[in-house]
This record gives sequence, C-alpha cells and structure tokens, in this order.
Amino acid sequence: MTDSNFFSEDAERALTRRQVLRGAMTGGAMLSAGALIAACGGSSNGGNTAATSAPAGSGASTGTPKAGGVISVGATGGGAKDTIDAHLPTADTDIMRCWNLYEPIAVRPPSFGPLEMMVAESLEAEKGKADSWVVTVRHGIEFHNGKTVTPEDVIFSLQRILDPKNPKVGAASIGYIDIKNVKKISSNQVRIPLKFANAGFPDDIGQYFNAIVPVGYNPAKPVGTGAFMYESFTPGQQSVFKKFPNYWQSGKPYLDQLTIIDFTDDTARVNALLGGQVQAIDNLPTGQIAQVQGTSSLKVLISQTGEWQPFTMRVDQAPFNDVRVRQAFRLIVDRPQMVEQVLSGQGRIANDMYSPYDPAYASSLPQRKQDIEQAKSLLKQAGHSNLTVTLTTAPVFQGVVQAAEVFAQQASAAGVNVKLSKVDTGTFYGPNYLKWPFAQDFWATREYLPQVAQGSLPNSPFNETHWAFSGTQDAAEFTKLINEARGTVDQTKRNDLLRQAMTLEYNNGGYIIPYFSNQIDAYSAKLTGFVEAKSGFPLGNYWFKNVGFKA
Amino acid sequence: MSKFLVRRILLGLLTLFLVSVVVFAATQALPGNAAIAILGRNATPARVAALTRQLHLNESALSQYTHWLGNILHGNLGISAATQQAVTKYIGGRLANSAFLVLVSALVAVPLSIALGVFMAVRRDKPTDHVLSVGTLGLAAVPEFVIGIALILLLATNASHVLPAVSLIPPGEHAWNVPKVVILPAATLILAVTPYISRIMRASMVEVLESDYVTMARLKGLPNRTVIWRHAVPNAIVPAIQVSALQLAWMAGGVVMVEFVFSYPGIGTALIDAVGNRDIPVVQALALIIAAVYVVVNLGADVITVLVTPRLRTAAR
Amino acid sequence: MSTSAVTSEALAATAPPEMRQRQWRVLARATMSQWRSRIGLVIVVVMVLIAIFGPLLAPHPPTAFVSAPNSPAGQNGLLFGSDGIGRDVWSRFLYGGRTVLGMAVASTIIGVGLGLIIGLAAAYFKGWIDEVLMRISDVFMAFPQIVLALLLVAAFGPSVPLIILIVGISHAPRVARVIRGAAVQITERDFVKAAEAVGEPRRRIIFGELLPNVTSPLLVECGLRLTFSIGLIAGLNFIGAGLQPPIADWGVMISENRLAVTVQPWGVVLPVLAIALLTIGTNLLTDGFARAAIGLDRGE
Repeated sequence: MTDSNFFSEDAERALTRRQVLRGAMTGGAMLSAGALIAACGGSSNGGNTAATSAPAGSGASTGTPKAGGVISVGATGGGAKDTIDAHLPTADTDIMRCWNLYEPIAVRPPSFGPLEMMVAESLEAEKGKADSWVVTVRHGIEFHNGKTVTPEDVIFSLQRILDPKNPKVGAASIGYIDIKNVKKISSNQVRIPLKFANAGFPDDIGQYFNAIVPVGYNPAKPVGTGAFMYESFTPGQQSVFKKFPNYWQSGKPYLDQLTIIDFTDDTARVNALLGGQVQAIDNLPTGQIAQVQGTSSLKVLISQTGEWQPFTMRVDQAPFNDVRVRQAFRLIVDRPQMVEQVLSGQGRIANDMYSPYDPAYASSLPQRKQDIEQAKSLLKQAGHSNLTVTLTTAPVFQGVVQAAEVFAQQASAAGVNVKLSKVDTGTFYGPNYLKWPFAQDFWATREYLPQVAQGSLPNSPFNETHWAFSGTQDAAEFTKLINEARGTVDQTKRNDLLRQAMTLEYNNGGYIIPYFSNQIDAYSAKLTGFVEAKSGFPLGNYWFKNVGFKA
Repeated sequence: MSKFLVRRILLGLLTLFLVSVVVFAATQALPGNAAIAILGRNATPARVAALTRQLHLNESALSQYTHWLGNILHGNLGISAATQQAVTKYIGGRLANSAFLVLVSALVAVPLSIALGVFMAVRRDKPTDHVLSVGTLGLAAVPEFVIGIALILLLATNASHVLPAVSLIPPGEHAWNVPKVVILPAATLILAVTPYISRIMRASMVEVLESDYVTMARLKGLPNRTVIWRHAVPNAIVPAIQVSALQLAWMAGGVVMVEFVFSYPGIGTALIDAVGNRDIPVVQALALIIAAVYVVVNLGADVITVLVTPRLRTAAR
Repeated sequence: MSTSAVTSEALAATAPPEMRQRQWRVLARATMSQWRSRIGLVIVVVMVLIAIFGPLLAPHPPTAFVSAPNSPAGQNGLLFGSDGIGRDVWSRFLYGGRTVLGMAVASTIIGVGLGLIIGLAAAYFKGWIDEVLMRISDVFMAFPQIVLALLLVAAFGPSVPLIILIVGISHAPRVARVIRGAAVQITERDFVKAAEAVGEPRRRIIFGELLPNVTSPLLVECGLRLTFSIGLIAGLNFIGAGLQPPIADWGVMISENRLAVTVQPWGVVLPVLAIALLTIGTNLLTDGFARAAIGLDRGE
C-alpha cells in the first residue's frame, strides 16, 4: 500500500488484485459420494488454524436496512481492461460487478459456510453417483429482461464458459464437464455428466464467475439474475446499476441504485470515503485504519480470512533442489515480525500450510518459529554458507513487495543475501511466469483439495514450486495420497490421508507461508448489512443486495 | 523562407517517423504481450493462445509495424489491444483533459511570467529584484514532481485540506467542468515554467530599457508607464515568446509526471496504463502525439523568430 | 526539465580566450563575490556532506525494523518516526542521498562527455559531418524522453546503469549544441589555423587547442546538467524505474511514503526538501559561475 509507483499498484494492481479467485476447484471430493447436495454442499469450516489468537474480525453491521436509497462504492483498481462480461472477471472492479449483476448455480456465502443455492433450487448427484449431476432451475427465477431462466440458458452458459476457441475464467475449474452430453431432461432440469466422478463438483461450479446468462448473451447489453441490473458501464471509471425489482429473494435488494467507481489510487479512494463522495470502499490500507476508525461517521470492517501470500521456491532448481535449503528458508522467517511490519498486525501467523478452514488442516504440526542458528547449520550442511539468491517480486497484491523487503532483511541475519528483483506485473506474468526460481504469489481462501488441484499436483495449472514433478519420492507419495483421498468417501479416513499429505508438503514442499492476511474495508455508519467475509471477498462478498440505509 | 519551411517540415516528419520506429522497437523488447497482461494471473496457456489469436498478436513484428504505419497514413490510429476500442476513442477524452491542463497552465504562466519579468527589470538591482531573481533561479531547478508533492503537502493534506490531492474526473465529464481538480496540477506546471519565461523577459527587458529610444522616450517626458508598456515591452517580448513556446513543448512531455502525481486522467496516466498493459497501439499513438507537439511548437517558435527578426528573414534563404 | 541552456548559450557566443592559471583564480573570486553563488555553495556543500557522511550519523541501519509501521515523529525515540514497514525515516533519509548524487554525477559525466565530443567534432569538421550530427541531435531532442524511459525500464527491468545511460544520452544533444556554438568561433582563430598549417594531428587540435578554449561553457554545462540529472534521476526513482527495494533513496522514499502522507508526513517532507535544496543549490552556483565567466569576458 505504501508502495506506489508507475510500476505498481497505481498502474497495475488493478489487473490482479483478486484473480486468485479464478478458483478452479478441480477434483475435490469433499462429500460423501451420492449425498444429496441441495443447499448444503461443501464441508463445514471447522479446523483450527495454527494462528495466534489475533482479535476476531470486527465491524460487521447489524439491523435490518430500510428500502430505498442510492450509494456509490469505491473499488480498487480498474482501468482500460475493465470488463462487464459475466465469465471474464479479472480485476477487483470486474469481480464486484459480477457479484451484483449475475449469479451462478450456487456459491459460498461470506462466512465460507456451505454452498448457498442461487439460480438452481438444487444440485444433485444423479442416482447417488458423482459422475453425473442434475441441476433443477429455481422456480420462476427471471433474468433482468423479464425472461424466465430455462435449462437452455444453463446449457448455453456452460458452453460459453467452456468454448474451446475462447475458454473463459471458469474453464480451468469445470473443464472436466462432458459438455457435449449436457442435456435438458425436463422443463426445469439439466443433466451435467462429468468425464470422471467428482463429489467436489458443486464447489467447482459454485463460483461467482460461472454465472448463468440467457441464451444469446451479449456483454454489451449485460443481463443476469443478480439483485442489480445494468444501467451504464465506462471502463476504468464507473458502472451504474439499478435495483432489479423482480429479484428472486423477496424484499431484496434494499437500495434503488448502486454506482461502482474505480479508484486506481489508494489515497483517492480513502479521501472519497472521508469526503462522502462514496459510502463504502474495499481494501482500506492498514495505515489508514486508525484515521477511519477515528471518524464517527465511518466504520471499518475487518475480516479474518484464509488468504495467503506465499514465497514460492522452485524445488527443481538450485539451490532449492536441496530440501535443507528450503527448510532453512522456512526457519529464517520471523512470522510475528512479518505480520507486524507488513500487515501492521492485520493478519495471523501461518505455518507453511494453506486452507486453515479445512477440517483436515494439520493443526497438530509444530508451529515453525525463527531459528537462525538451525537455519545456518542447515545451509552449511547443504554447502551454501554464503548463499545469494534473487527473489522476484511484483506489486501483484497488497503487501507482497513489502513482505519481500522484510524477508530479505530477516535472511541477512542468517548470512543469506536475498537480492530483490522488483518487476512490473506485465513482466511477472510474462514468459517466466510459473518459472521464477524464487518468487511470490497470492491465493484466496480455499479448501485443501481444490487448492492442491490448483498448484501442487503434476497437472495443476499454477504449479509454481514444481514440487509435484520434481521426481522426488516425497512428491510422488504426496500425489498418491491426494488421489487416494479423492476417491475416499469416509470423511474421517479422507481427512487422515489429507493430513499425511499436508505433513509431506509441510516438510518437503516449496512454499513459505508466513501469514494469513485480514481483509479490511470501510463504509459509512449510515449503512447496514455488511458482514465479515472469511471468503476473502471484500465487503461481505460484495453482496450489496444485503446492504441498505439504517431504518 | 518557403524553402526553410519545407526543409523544417520534412525534418519534423522524419523525426516523427524515427520516434515511431524506436518506440515500436522498444515495445518489442517488452516481456509478455497484451494478452498476457490482460489475463494476468489467469494466463493459462489455453487462454493466452486464444486471446493472442483474437488480438492478432501472433503476427510478426514487421507486419505489425507496417500494418500500423499504413493505418497511420490513413489517419487511423488503430485499435487498443486492452480495450478493443478505437485508439482515438479511447484517448480522445484524455487528450482533451491534458490539453486543457496545458492550456490553462500556459494561459496563466505566460502573462504572469511576462509581468514578473517586467517588474524585475524595472526594479533592477533593487532588493525585490534580487530576491525574485534568485527565487526564480532556484525554483527553475526543482523537479516538477517535487513541486507537485510539495503543493500536496501544503494544500491537500490534514494541515490544510483546501484542494483535492487527487484529480478525480467523473466519466463522460471533462476537466473544464470540474475546475477544482485542475488547480493543483496546473499550479505545478505554472511553477515549473514561470521561472524560465520570467528570467528571459527580465534579461530582454533590461537590455531594451538601456537602449537609446527608451532614453529618448523618457527625455520626451512620456509617463513611465507608457514608456514601459508601449515602447519597451513590445520590443522585449520576442525572446519571451520563444521561450514560452519551448516551455509549451516541454509541457507536452512534462505533463506525464505531473498527471502521475495527481492521478489526473490525461494522456500521461493513459501512457503509464498502456505500458503496463502492453497496449502497443496506445503507446505508439501517445508517443507520436507528444513528439508531434514538440516538433510543431518548435517549428512555430522558429517561424515566429524568423518573421520578427528582419536580419534572419533575409538570411533564411 | 525545461531547456535553460540560455546562460550557457549566451556564454558560448562570447567564449573566453585561453584560460590560464591566474584566470581561474580570478574566475573563482568573481564567482564567489556574488551572494547567489555563496548561498548556492553553502547549500550544495551541506547537501553533499549529508549525502556522503549521513550514513555515519544514522542511528539505525536503513533497512532495520525499529518500530511499528508509520509511527509518528518522536515515538520510540525516532526523530521523524517510522515508514510503512517500520524502518527509521531519519536513518533512511541520511542514507538516501548517495544514490541520487552518485547516479546524477555519473549521468552528467556521460552526457557532458558525449556532448563535448559530438560538439567539438561538429565544430571542427564542419560540412556534412556537422549537418548530420546536429540533425541527429534535433531528432533526439524531440524524442519524448519519458516515453522511452518508461518503455526501456519495463523492457529491461529497473537497473541503475540503464537509468544513468538514458539520462546521460538525453543530455548529450543539448550539450553538443552549446559546445559546438562555442567551438565554431575558436576554429576560425589564428592559433587553430596555425596549428593546422604546421600539420598537427586532428586529435591534438581538437583536444589540445579547441577543448581548453571551451572550458567555461563546459563547466556551466556540467553544472546545469548535474542539476537536471538530479531532478530526472530522483523522478525516475520516484516512479519506480531506477532502484530496487529495499534501498534507501530520496526518490524511492517519496514514492514509498506518498500514500501514507496524511499519517506520516516526514517520509515525504524530508526527501522532498533535500531534492529541492540540492537542485536549487547547484543551479545557484552554476548561475553564479556563468555570470562571472561572462563578466570576465566582457572585461567588467
């Protein structure tokens, strides 16, 4: 946040702030096979975090809103590349638009609790087997143009997402749908066969970017089933939406109009809130929390999340091909200091493992602490007493460059010279993307299996540590455990397998995960309906359908 | 004279051509392309390939350049890779905002500097002259982004929140309808150029005030005011106009940094955005516009100089 | 920066005769007799001393975490508080002058050196060589420097040598013009004709006869280009084009702390003041010298 220049947030954060939620949850098997998953997909968010007891999130608003009113919201980023296409959200502002204009079949609520049914009434495994699923469209649900949602619309939307000539964001998560055989089976039902059985399918399709749009959807005249409908859209500047009077959740939305304004500049966004030009903003910089809290007309919304910003070490390249170097690097990190300096305390320390809300989370593994002596000794054993490494960093997410600076400083205590190479995001995601020997990344709240599918399996689309195909025995064993878990119906047994896998990755993987960061937003005290979001989506999943002026 | 003009115009066109070649060559060295920049972290190989085809980025560099050049010769700036809008449409509003900023700054800065220069010359070697002279000399050296930040510190933070630190202009709105956001960026540009013009004006004015005909006019008993504004200033103003033109040319590029400091939605911020997005048609267009302003304004200044200086008028073949 | 080669161009038109030891002393005295030069010198000396010896006075290392982020001035014994990740603003300020000054000096040497060679060559060889060199300079001057800097930095990554080179090369055409203007007149003088007549090698004539006679415009150019280099380099570091974190540098500091300016102003105020003072000082001193040189030449 304090890092702002031509090559950083101001210009570019817009493009990547939350792409993390591209969310392919391929191959998750989180439910007992054959279970009916109407409105209760996904696992509960139990699981202890290995975190310190940071204060619980705060600032959620209570009370029923009254109908009526107009608000403007300041969104982070935005620029020439802004889109309003239901299936191509990339930047924060795109995502905010999607959550309000469109709806998928089902989606996880801000609490990261079980899937909530949206366009569908139910999503069931056919005949109790997870290789074919039946969607029942919600009775009477309408698009903004007054057309009733039909099975044809569901089929059209899936075909549009999976178009081989132009795959959309969701293609990475539901690519295993046997799209040619998706069929309408009744006036309100669609059968979706899969290429392989997957009990985790509801979570894969239940993503905001897999929205249901009408046949012949034209992004120039965007139509969805969301609580707000399109009025105008100017890329890089603002979008105006108005209340959808026929929204299926009766009584909602409360507001008559919603304007989303792009702010590439953090200061400008905060100033607009302080000056009353906008009534809510996402991503309040930590440096400004005190200032906003000191203003009685404003409220700060702090949500603990499962978002993580790892350092990624390429396991198949020197010096990181030596597990002792990776272990030493994980011991170099002073996690409490990192939370304090990078996040101003707005986060919880992590233990090099992701998915803290997964019931399988291996909270019994010992919390890693900084141990410079041990790190030095490991490096010495590995023959790297005077090690110099280059850490490639880019302002892809708030705090990432600062974390690199803090890591470099901490590493110097162990005699490791970490040279920072700060590049612009265009370069970071350029030809060397997923090939940097030592770099950083950011990920959203996600359960363990879907996350593993993203980055830790040999065929994962975003495998940045290369651990899975490093050819080592521990990696092979890890892959075997994951495959076994996917096919394991019994939850206790499956969680046991997952914990073994986690332990392997904890000891041998290529990630350094210092913390889980908090999501911080702010809004006018006149408004109510904002809730904390473990999901990591700002302002409670951007669900302005729940927001209104206090009665 | 016409030969001189033709020569200068041809040279100007050559300059613009070379600028376009060099800028295009530099864009080819950028890692990644617009497709990757648009997809960012979602850049899976399948999606990159699809988008690269869609944006015609898979053509060779030479064919992309000749294609672009052909379009330019037909007055077509091409299609922005990031927005898929015509470049003219995309930068049109921003160009107007930047032009407005530069124009407002020039309209204030030029008369202000000339008055300041005259004032210093009339008060030559008095304490006010010394103070102003050294003050403008010092100010002339301070980088414009430092001036901009200093203005923000003084006028747009907690200390005294009188003006917006960031220039927000609602979409579809033009800068001239939101004058408040133009004040600080314009003040920055004004402070950056005033020292140069006023110092030249002072020097030129001092010389004229020492000349015989001014002495004559004084001896005739004309009021001091008439001598200065009717006789001296018109004769002293040419170098100041020339320097003003140079400063205007400088502002076309200097506006980039000032716009960045204030997040002013003009061509400067568009340029930065375009470099980040690898949006080559937009980068090309903006580089060309900035260079063209420089070339045209310089040419204009030279023509004016030739026209008002009799000795040069005959010498200019 | 704007083109303010005005003083040096005027100076070039009246380039002084060959400089001797005694004249240097006179010139120095004439420069220092003006109070603008004295102010300039004092500022420059103070700023350069801070830049060079500041690190010795810094209470903390520039990258050490000494406090919670953005703590106000005076807290935890920090004179000017801490920055966005809890480093001491005062220490970073004291460390932050070396890079700006070093890079500015380096790019000035490159720019003035290159411009000197081009200018002398154009003046001596005349004819088509002169024409070509000067036209190339014109093209370069029309080039939107900031566009090129942005592109090159995005293409090759932020790097100190790249920035020094970009800034240096951008100075060369302007220096070349001034030096050419001064040297052209010298080439017509008798001693150059005489040297040519006795068949002295060209290199000897250019560097032995021409060069000593353009030293004062050259020095003025050095001062001017140094002033502009400081501004440009600080600006490029400010936009993130020059240096890699976590280095302490005045330009970088401004950009790092800009967004927290309402909470922690010192991280911006100190480097802004430093850059402003440094550029003001070098400009005052250069102007004083230029005036002294013109005055001497006029025989005042």
